[in-house]
Amino acid sequence: MANYDFDAIVIGSGISGGWAAKELCEKGMKVLMLDRGRMVEHRKDYITEGKGPWQLAYRGNLPPAETDRDFIMAKWGGANLTAQTHFYNNDRLNPIDYENSKPFRWVRPNQVGGKSLIWGRVALRWSHIDFEANKRDGHGSPWPIDYDEIAPWYSYVETFAGIAGSREGLPQLPDGEYQPPHPMNVAELWVKDRLEKAVPGRKVISTRTANMTEDKPEQGRSRCQDRNMCARGCSFGAYFSTQSATLPAARKTNNLTLMSDQVVTNLEYDPKTRRVTGVRVVDANTNQAHVYRSRIVFLCASAMSSTQILLNSRLPGSDRSFADSSGMLGHYIMDHAFRASFWGTVPDPALEPFIAYGRRPNGVYIPRFRNLNGQDADADFVRGYGMQGAAGRGPAGAGGFGAAMKEAMRAYGPWTIRFTAFGECLPYKDNTLSLNPSKTDRFGVPLAVFNVTFRDNEQKMMRDACLQGEAMMKAAGLTGVGSINEEHVPGDAIHEMGGACMGEDPRSSVVNRWSQAHDAANLFVTDGSQMASTSCVNPSMTFMALTARAADYAVKQVKAGAI
Amino acid sequence: MTVFDRRDLLAAGIALLGAELVTPLARALAAEAVPGFSASQAQFTPEQRAQVAAISERIIPTTDTPGAISAGVPAFIEMMLADWYSPQERDDFLNGLGVVEGRAWIQYEKTFPALTPQEQDEILTIAMQEHLGGDFFNHCKQMTILGYYTSEIGCKQERVYVPVPGHYDGRYPYAQVRRVFSS
Repeated sequence: MANYDFDAIVIGSGISGGWAAKELCEKGMKVLMLDRGRMVEHRKDYITEGKGPWQLAYRGNLPPAETDRDFIMAKWGGANLTAQTHFYNNDRLNPIDYENSKPFRWVRPNQVGGKSLIWGRVALRWSHIDFEANKRDGHGSPWPIDYDEIAPWYSYVETFAGIAGSREGLPQLPDGEYQPPHPMNVAELWVKDRLEKAVPGRKVISTRTANMTEDKPEQGRSRCQDRNMCARGCSFGAYFSTQSATLPAARKTNNLTLMSDQVVTNLEYDPKTRRVTGVRVVDANTNQAHVYRSRIVFLCASAMSSTQILLNSRLPGSDRSFADSSGMLGHYIMDHAFRASFWGTVPDPALEPFIAYGRRPNGVYIPRFRNLNGQDADADFVRGYGMQGAAGRGPAGAGGFGAAMKEAMRAYGPWTIRFTAFGECLPYKDNTLSLNPSKTDRFGVPLAVFNVTFRDNEQKMMRDACLQGEAMMKAAGLTGVGSINEEHVPGDAIHEMGGACMGEDPRSSVVNRWSQAHDAANLFVTDGSQMASTSCVNPSMTFMALTARAADYAVKQVKAGAI
Repeated sequence: MTVFDRRDLLAAGIALLGAELVTPLARALAAEAVPGFSASQAQFTPEQRAQVAAISERIIPTTDTPGAISAGVPAFIEMMLADWYSPQERDDFLNGLGVVEGRAWIQYEKTFPALTPQEQDEILTIAMQEHLGGDFFNHCKQMTILGYYTSEIGCKQERVYVPVPGHYDGRYPYAQVRRVFSS
């Protein structure tokens, strides 16, 4: 293969890139994995792991002046916490742009491993309902694949990643390959028992999470130790990340070359062969540019970054992207709406003697219950939402001062429970990511310009989540019930998706059913950018499943001589 | 004291896979070279430093566990003023401190640190009830609580610190600890 530096180049090393590298390496390909961020080695570089509050800079909270200077968007993902600031992009050094004062919060990581180190670890499957949604209500372009086609790939990635969860038999939230669930606490069980009796069809389950409850000795990973310090990195390898799981597997093959600090600016393309011919990078430290060549390319840079790279990959002599023959590249940018919350207090004195020991990495989940069988008669919106929450009790507040206050603060306050809804965002063609025509970043890449808003359907859905949430809390017998529906800013949920949507028709989509670019047979776009809709469930397991499936297909095509 | 001690881990029944795990967890944590552990520049005069120390110790006094001074709360407050607060917030705090100190002079013709604990409590009660110096009392109380319960003493002696719980029990009897678990 004299023309190629590698069999495959994987751009990005997060959840999707890590899976692509693992699968391609294990299938015998020589792989180069690139990441724009710095190197983070498992265990060695988890510099704040295990530290107590007194060992964290500023006791854990970055000064507001510094937060507002460097992490104006990343703070929404937790960059303002000094235990994890080092895992986030500096928004001053790497800025973005908006159109028409429509804010978008693009929370980015800054290291090998990407957001796999700092993700929320909620590990859910999409359902038939989700894959059929676009077709059913006519929003966006129809998915060319269905749940049955993806189900075995969910099983494949779940088994390797290590997912803890309960089997519930719900059609809207299919069961997977699970280790035992993390336990619920007394208050959550109290709410579950009463809510499920009071409102038939509603369920409260232990949130399915990529924090293991059983060891994986073959991967050198231990079960979760209930420290709840996941976002600092976990030396136990208890939660799925590139560093804990896919990177060691890829390295074990001796087929992987991993390079950090390599900013991919664009892909080079030959219109005659309709193939990607090179991946151009700029070294973040030296500013040296270099082009790497490979037979196939997996673009896994994150939904927004992959879209930005594709937009900046122009046809020779044109300002148009080679991947945009459909005119759809950069369209249908989506995120979950998730600033609707509700809560209540458990009034039962029988729970008073109990507290929680340990810091669990997950909480509880109320699966979608709206518009499951067609349109609910009383719903003024399409699709639905799920609810993530947890019950807990904090230290009692105390008035006054002195010894009495100190003693009073040795007690706990009441058990309270709080949920936040995650709502499906419809695909809108005019929610776009484009490139600024005149401003470039320090690597010469045109700034990403966001023009993304939530619309009427999302707003109505979130209002409904508050109403339904309060009604459920009251029906379960909770007191002090309340809700809040705050401003929903796209990007906030860090579930950004779309931009290079999947579809059967090359005239209306960017990648095909195999996550393969319609315009370049040797290019696979397997991260969140390929999503044609968002479902209401957390997306990472679907990115993993689609990536593993695309890698399997790509290698078969290479071996068959087709690409 | 290191956070992770191999003996503690084994005693806790931690599922360890490979001895190399302990080393990164037991990383030496002393002598931090990053900011945020002490004030980058002095914010208090010696008199103000003594006043803040005395006030914080009355808010969280030494009882069967150490109080605010032992826990380093005064230095924490000075660090926050130096490196965390906006100039306006810093000025408000220092102005409020001056008003409380002035009240001590009016009442007892002594500086606050020179008062007996009972006299100090009397001044602080007035500061709390009459909102002396704006909301200085609540401000100082919140800072003291934050500094104390995030200190090593606050986390480990006043509260119960379990760095590696090893499991989760959502039905754990409070009677077994009669304290709050720090996180």
